[in-house]
Amino acid sequence: MHEISLVQAMLQQLSDLAVQNQATKIIKITMEIGQMSGVVVDSFRFGFEVLSGNDDLVRGAELVIITPPVTYRCTQCSHSEITAAKPDCCPQCQEVFLIPEGGDDLILQQVEME
Amino acid sequence: MCDSCGCHVPTEHDHNHHSHSSPKTVDVHTSLLAANDALAKLNREHFEAMGAVAINLISSPGSGKTTLLEHTIEKLGGDIKIGVIEGDIETERDADRIRAKGVPVIQLTTGGACHLDAAMTHKGVHLLEKQPGGDKIDLLFIENVGNLVCPATFDLGEHKRVVLVSVPEGPDKPAKYPKAFTSSDIFLITKTDLLPYFDFPVPECKAEALHLNPQLIVMDFSSTTGVGFEVWLQYLRDLVKEVKRK
Repeated sequence: MHEISLVQAMLQQLSDLAVQNQATKIIKITMEIGQMSGVVVDSFRFGFEVLSGNDDLVRGAELVIITPPVTYRCTQCSHSEITAAKPDCCPQCQEVFLIPEGGDDLILQQVEME
Repeated sequence: MCDSCGCHVPTEHDHNHHSHSSPKTVDVHTSLLAANDALAKLNREHFEAMGAVAINLISSPGSGKTTLLEHTIEKLGGDIKIGVIEGDIETERDADRIRAKGVPVIQLTTGGACHLDAAMTHKGVHLLEKQPGGDKIDLLFIENVGNLVCPATFDLGEHKRVVLVSVPEGPDKPAKYPKAFTSSDIFLITKTDLLPYFDFPVPECKAEALHLNPQLIVMDFSSTTGVGFEVWLQYLRDLVKEVKRK
């Protein structure tokens, strides 16, 4: 349940952003959570609901989570396949060793506040 | 944060601000791990200034991380100065086992947290440096909290990440817990002396791990019987030599 630690890191960033922008209320938060990030989106949402309930700045804010597709590069023919689920093998040459590129990001993309 | 060494805690904020009238939308594009990663970078620089190479050990509880360290210290302790940071939710037990081997060790108890992070490691390394011999370390092991999920997300500032799976756990761990394997440099299959009693096809397990991460270095051995252990010891000797040369 390291998602709680990550939600705490997000709330800290939101608090800093609010001070910098002289905002008192966060309305909408857009997070990018990669498929390979090791974060369970439901757990992250649960952590957000629990922790934001005790936080005047963030309580009631909308949390939008974006999960971008991952690029898999073939170790044999260097073909790049952009896909939501990991392919069993390279669609070009059937090689099974594919290296994922990206997809492990946890990015606070955008914040709407007032 | 750090009053023991005077090293500065980095300010990681690199926000692009768009000013609008209220309410306003701010594009941030900052990783949630930015604060952890900045501190991890600082840790790595600190380890390098000490002349130490740092290894983060990740596995489920009971895979043999502490036993691996006990036997590694026995075999290499005469030639290489080893230090250990132990991470556990509770108790000093692992540190007691390492201390009995005569090397500097510090126990971090997370009090419930399921992983170590860069800040805890930072604290740990400063405490370790105050131990006798703790300021002269060639090889620093950081034994993470036993958990194959959460520790994989947090960079501690290590140079190499090692993931362990023991034979009784079964060969499906790479497929079930991919992040630990995609983020690691070395994969150790431990307790191979138990292979006659378990259905653990070593080649299939290795292939699954390599399927996830073709760059993984894979070794299989038994720390207690010593079969296959020399490959691991030689890897560590070469790693320390490589760092010393730099």
